[in-house]
Amino acid sequence: MNEHRRQILDMLAAGKITAEEAERLLTAIEPGAGNSTGAAAGSVGSDATDTTTKPRRKYLRVLVEADETMTGLKGGPTTVNVRVPMQLLRAGVRLAGLIPVQAHDQLDQAFSKHGVPITLSQIKPENLEELIDHLEDLTVDVDGKDGNVTKVKVFCE
Amino acid sequence: MTPSIAIVHVHNPHWRGIRLWIPLFLLWIPLLLLAPFILLAVVVACLVGRVNPWSAISTFWALLCALPGTDVHVSSQQNLVLVRIL
Repeated sequence: MNEHRRQILDMLAAGKITAEEAERLLTAIEPGAGNSTGAAAGSVGSDATDTTTKPRRKYLRVLVEADETMTGLKGGPTTVNVRVPMQLLRAGVRLAGLIPVQAHDQLDQAFSKHGVPITLSQIKPENLEELIDHLEDLTVDVDGKDGNVTKVKVFCE
Repeated sequence: MTPSIAIVHVHNPHWRGIRLWIPLFLLWIPLLLLAPFILLAVVVACLVGRVNPWSAISTFWALLCALPGTDVHVSSQQNLVLVRIL
């Protein structure tokens, strides 16, 4: 890449190309420039449309907005904003692997009893990575009494 | 990187509220002094529970190192609870 850049600058210095052409060529050889038509478009496109150079997500965010009727608390709507590092989730999944095998059945039954039908032995770090990859932006609206709605938003950043 | 500081902020209109900066890095001093005993206790507990001590220690270390960046913020109009680990 540096060699190409040097060649372009040499051509500019030798007067073989104009400054505008050199700028265009330098923009073209920049990493990630292949998906865009220009520098400005590249800066916008890299966030919204470029899936090949997707940044590694660092945090799981959970946002909850609930009004008084949902929480039962007076004083206006309540907001919950939780940010959990992805590394913590990965370590948590590893923690599940430490649970003795003989305890898995009991835990699975207890989870099912409380409305969480999961099988602990099937939770693996690969599953978490797959989940994170697909968890772009999830919004759940929980309907309450009198038509009130609690918004739960889960996303990675 | 292990957590170095925890910030706890609680605010309530009927109460003075607290804002604490807890220097977690100071916990290393007693922990290092007690390390042989803690290690022995962990190994014994792992052997009793039929868990590989090495994987248990590495998992807990990974959990500890992953804590920085955790942020929990609960607020209503006048109340606020904030827990942040740096």
